[in-house]
Parts: sequence; C-alpha cells; structure tokens
Amino acid sequence: MSVDQGVFRPASVDEAVSVLARLPDARLISGGATLVAMINARLIEPAALVSLAGVDELHGITENPDGGWRIGAMTRHRDVAAERRFTGTLALVQQAASLIANATVRNMGTIGGAIAHADPGLDYPPALVAADAQIEIASGKGRRRLPASEFFVDWYATALQSAELVTAVHLRAASDGVGLYHKLARVSGDYATVSVALTMSSGVAGIATRAAMGACGPTPILLEEANALLSGSPGESELNRAGELLAAAADPVDDVRGSAEYRRLLIPRMLARAFTEARAAIGART
Amino acid sequence: MSQAKRRSVLTVNGEQHHVLAPAAATLLDVLRTGLGLTGSKCGCNHGVCGACTVLLDGKLARSCLTLAADVGERRVTTIEGIAGDLDFSAVQRALVESGAIQCGFCTPGFVITLTELFARDPHPGRETIRAALSGNLCRCSGYVKIVEAAEHLAGGVR
Repeated sequence: MSVDQGVFRPASVDEAVSVLARLPDARLISGGATLVAMINARLIEPAALVSLAGVDELHGITENPDGGWRIGAMTRHRDVAAERRFTGTLALVQQAASLIANATVRNMGTIGGAIAHADPGLDYPPALVAADAQIEIASGKGRRRLPASEFFVDWYATALQSAELVTAVHLRAASDGVGLYHKLARVSGDYATVSVALTMSSGVAGIATRAAMGACGPTPILLEEANALLSGSPGESELNRAGELLAAAADPVDDVRGSAEYRRLLIPRMLARAFTEARAAIGART
Repeated sequence: MSQAKRRSVLTVNGEQHHVLAPAAATLLDVLRTGLGLTGSKCGCNHGVCGACTVLLDGKLARSCLTLAADVGERRVTTIEGIAGDLDFSAVQRALVESGAIQCGFCTPGFVITLTELFARDPHPGRETIRAALSGNLCRCSGYVKIVEAAEHLAGGVR
C-alpha cells in the first residue's frame, strides 16, 4: 500500500480495513462525487483519505453461479445504468442507476459510496430495498451480509460499524417479472422528491409485489402489510389501502423540493402509477 | 491533512506538469491556481452546474469533485486543449455560428460535454443532445441556442 501525504492507497480490502482501524477519523473515498463536495463546502475535514481505486475486487459486476449478481462497491453508476443483463424484476436497479444526477456524475459516483452515504433522496436505497438486495460488508473480523432493508437505519446513517466498509451489493437472480423505478424530481438530475421502487412477478397464487418508497423518510419505506395487499389478486381498494399505509408510515421533511404534506399526497399516487404500469406489463406478457 | 502538500505529475492537454498541492486539492484548484488554466470554471463547487467539466481519458468528469491526488495516470483534457490557439473545434464553431453564447461562463463546460457526446455519437438526435446536456447549467438560460448548435452539428436540422 502506498501512502502519500494523507492519502492512503490500499491494494486490498484487508489493507483498507487496517487503515480504518488505525485511523478512525480517516474517510474512504470511492468516486468522490459526494465526499469532495462535502470537503469543498467545509462540512468535513478528514484526517486522512483512503482511496479505494486500487482495490481490484471492488470493481465490476459479476454473475454468481446461482444466477444472482455481485456489484462491486466501486462500480460506477454509469456501468450499472448500462447493465442490460439486469432483466425482469432486477430492471429497477438499472433504471435507478440511470436516473442518478447526470451523465458526468454517473461517470464518477459509485454504488458503494452512494449507499454508505445513505442520503434518503438517493435513487439506490429504495431500489435495493425493493430488490431485496444484500449488502456485503468487510471488517477486521471478515465479511458479513445484511439485507438492504436493515442496512439503512436513519438519516444518513447505516448499519456500518467503525472500521467497516461496503465491499459489494448482491442481487438475487431475477424473477421473470417486472422491476420498476419511478422518480419524481423537480428537474432532470435532481434528488428525488418522492420515488417508488417496485418488483412484481406472477405465479399460481396471483401476483407477488414488493414496493419501497424513497425520499419520504430517513430510510426507504417497505411494509410487509402493504406488499401483502398488493399481492394475490388486488383490486382498487387494496391498492388504495396500501398507499394509505405507506403514507402513514412516511416521515417526510419540508424542504425546497416539497412540503411533507405534498410528499404524503404523492406516495399513494406514485405507488398506484408504478403498480398499474407493472401490472399492465405483466399482463402483456402472459 | 489539508496543510500537507503532495507532489504529483498530471498530464494535461498532452503535457506533463509537476504539481505541488494540498492533498485535498481538487483537480479544478490545481488547473486554475497551479497551472493557470482558468478556462474550467468554478461555479457551484459541488458537482451540479457543470462549469468545471473536463475529460479524464476521454470521459466526462467534474474537476471540482475530482481530487488531483486521485487523477493518477489518467489524461486530463480541458477547454484549453480542445483546439489549437488560433483555431476552433467543430463544436466551438457550431456554438459561434448559432450565437449560442451569452455571458460565456458556462461555455467551456458545454463545449467539453458536447465534445464527448460527438466523439461517441456523431449524429445525436434532439433528445440525446438534451439528455447529454442535462448536467450543464446556463444561468443566462440560453439553452435553446445551445441545443440548436448541437443539432446543426449533428446534421439533424436543415
């Protein structure tokens, strides 16, 4: 590992973890899209930086033997946005990546950096929760995995402990169904005002739906009760009830993108639009 | 770490430069203050406006969000490297001919973004152009002429 005036360049995950264990005030830098903006705004002044650029295992998307996928933490948004192998229910991950900021920022930002930052307005968190992704985390004790729904714990807060880092995002094999990510934003490239991520597949018991709302609380909102309402053979009343439950569970803020009240109004509407589109797509296929 | 200065070698517009800058210095800081290449502008300094856009190995990057220490071997192209001293590139000519310039502050970023677009797609359609430019802000709001210039260059408007 080279060290140069406060910038560490580990060649492996183990080396990166050992620097973090030794220097708790060091910050990991992956794509820089958020970290450098925070340094520029003087919101943070890291004691040292640990660049992950040279850690080979963090780069790239690989297919697991079971048909699932491992997205290395340093994989750029551009590469996920261009990933045509994420089909069926997994298409929402590709769609979410393609709506992040703008093309230049997508060249820079990484999936690991984005989720470790855990801004509730980001596109990945609801998409990964709806896709039931697993987050792979490394520490001095080895690796562990957490469901995305347990990884995001509060505003800008994750389950990462001191001297841990995100090494990958794992996606289970795509089901033959539909994955959708819809984002309502003031202008192209802005953070979401409200977003919805949804997977839907159909089987003998009717449809199976899993929905997560983004940008309307500290963490993505997914309710098993709402998903149950949206599965089987749901009608309009079940869809309305699911929207009400999600809106009631939301904890949105008032900010420049919209008031909390406005966001609560958007939740059932965004859900209904995504649900209806997914159901039409499933219907067209069967 | 902000006080610690580090030496590095940057390849900018085909020339190697030895630079000494704080470890947390951005590429934009080094270009403008260290190398005197003031064509790349500092607008928002947090990656939104696109005025600082440069190419790293031909790919778009925000120089305000790129640490100089993280550039490594990648070749930097700035607005100063787009054409010769007494010449314009095709993109620059198209902007001039369409009158797609008001105050000019955002122009270097637009030129870089369009240069990258036309390098990979010589005949982009209107929606492709608009999507490509969506990460560049013009506070004079002179977007119509800029899109028209790109459409002329693409051969999409006759």
